[in-house]
Amino acid sequence: MSMFEGFRFRRVSSVIHRLDPRVKFFFVCVLFVTAILFSKLPPLILLFFVPLPFVLAAGVQREWIRSMRGALFFAVIIFLFNFVFTYFSTQYPQLPSASLLERSLAMTLRFLVLVESFSVFFLTTSPDHLGLALEQSHVPYEFCFAFTTAVRFVPVLADEAQTIMDAQKARGLELERGNFLKRVRNYIPILIPLIVGAIRRSLELAEAMESRAWGASEKRTNLYVLKLKNADYLLAFGSVLMLIFAVYVWRYVPVPTLITLLRL
Amino acid sequence: MAVIKTRDLTYTYPGATKASIKDVSITIEKGEFVVLTGPSGCGKTTLCRCFNGLIPLFYGGKLEGEVVVAGCKVVEHSIYELARHVGLVFQNPENQLFALSVEKDVAFGLENLAVSRDEMRKRVDWALQITGIEDLSERSPHELSGGQQQRVAIACVLAMQPDVMILDEPTSFLDPVGAQKIFEVINELNKELGITVILVEHRLDLASKYANHVIVMDEGKVVLDGEPRGVFNSEKARLIGVGVPKATRLYQILGENGIRLGRVPVTSEEAASLLREVLKRD
Repeated sequence: MSMFEGFRFRRVSSVIHRLDPRVKFFFVCVLFVTAILFSKLPPLILLFFVPLPFVLAAGVQREWIRSMRGALFFAVIIFLFNFVFTYFSTQYPQLPSASLLERSLAMTLRFLVLVESFSVFFLTTSPDHLGLALEQSHVPYEFCFAFTTAVRFVPVLADEAQTIMDAQKARGLELERGNFLKRVRNYIPILIPLIVGAIRRSLELAEAMESRAWGASEKRTNLYVLKLKNADYLLAFGSVLMLIFAVYVWRYVPVPTLITLLRL
Repeated sequence: MAVIKTRDLTYTYPGATKASIKDVSITIEKGEFVVLTGPSGCGKTTLCRCFNGLIPLFYGGKLEGEVVVAGCKVVEHSIYELARHVGLVFQNPENQLFALSVEKDVAFGLENLAVSRDEMRKRVDWALQITGIEDLSERSPHELSGGQQQRVAIACVLAMQPDVMILDEPTSFLDPVGAQKIFEVINELNKELGITVILVEHRLDLASKYANHVIVMDEGKVVLDGEPRGVFNSEKARLIGVGVPKATRLYQILGENGIRLGRVPVTSEEAASLLREVLKRD
């Protein structure tokens, strides 16, 4: 099922994949904050290029492009909303000015930077690592376990959904028939067995967990441990520098718009 | 020394009107390889659940009589305390693996028991090596075949170093080759490590050669309990519908026709050598 392909994490290893997820998350947050601080086009253009080396180093260009293409639709909506609404509420009878165009573009780009930074994080962090990071950030273990188990069972449930669909089609269920509402209703005979199956599965899982001493000790240990390495310190240091620089520029340097820059 | 002892064990699931197991009194000695068999729905799985506390703690319901496992009265202990002594491997391998890598899954029980990291690493590698899946340690359970998944499930339980290992139809989702491999792994655990094994199984042709104790259940009751040859050769076993090993069945048919083999065979190899003897003599 192509729908679930995106959730299926491919086990790849690169410098970026090996970075500590906590540090990576901090870096993404810094990008996020910086993108929120600036509303002019030039700094946002610069910001857009910051995660690109990470994408290339991790070798996830294709997935990255796919996720950006997914964001494009929303980007167009954001642009149109900004442009059309501001135009009609401020400049209407006259022609739209270049600065209005630039502001709308900046808002759109800000959105793209946010999507970009998060997609880099999720594309280069294995769910395993993420679960571990959650655990070591003192998130209650039940939540971490629920998270990793959910990821573990996505492909299993996808296969099961496919099997149920085939079985129901073999009994004469027509999925691609009728108008929109009818089509949605067509999926009920797929959903019910899927949900019942999932509940049964969860009972069996609970049994297996109990049999393997779930809840035996207050403070459980872990096979793996996340340790900060040199590269992690480097990225953390870089992120802090970037944050300081961004705040400084935002506070004390008048940021020019692209139009004034081009005029110079 | 008995590792599992039950006395007049009767259990009714919540909401059920009829007891699933009735007056079960069995003794399983340390180091035995027990095959537990009987028609579907005869209470084999229910009995297994009594051995590690899932019944009555997880399921509720009404339990009468007594179960003692590794010196602990089951009703007086929590499931996680019993998990140190009794490992349970389930029928569907897919639903007992919940981590994203094999290694992590094998470590799950040890993590729960708060075993130190070095010790855990040692035991995980040990369990993977015994079950012959070291090369799969980094893989995700979803990428494995059913047979490999079941071996991982066995490794998960093995890593906790239980005294007793209960396997509830571990091969019903596997092909004959996969099943054969699982049986060999289980046999090794029993013979090399001295772990008491209780194997719930229908495929007696494959499983019975390893067993030295067979228990047959029917409608919640233990109907036959003893050493394999005697149990398989009894008329009762055949009438209940137990899949008596074909070698034993052959022995019986030959007997009805007046040909006596030296003893009751359980495997086809045994039957073959006995037949050879008879043919030479004639």
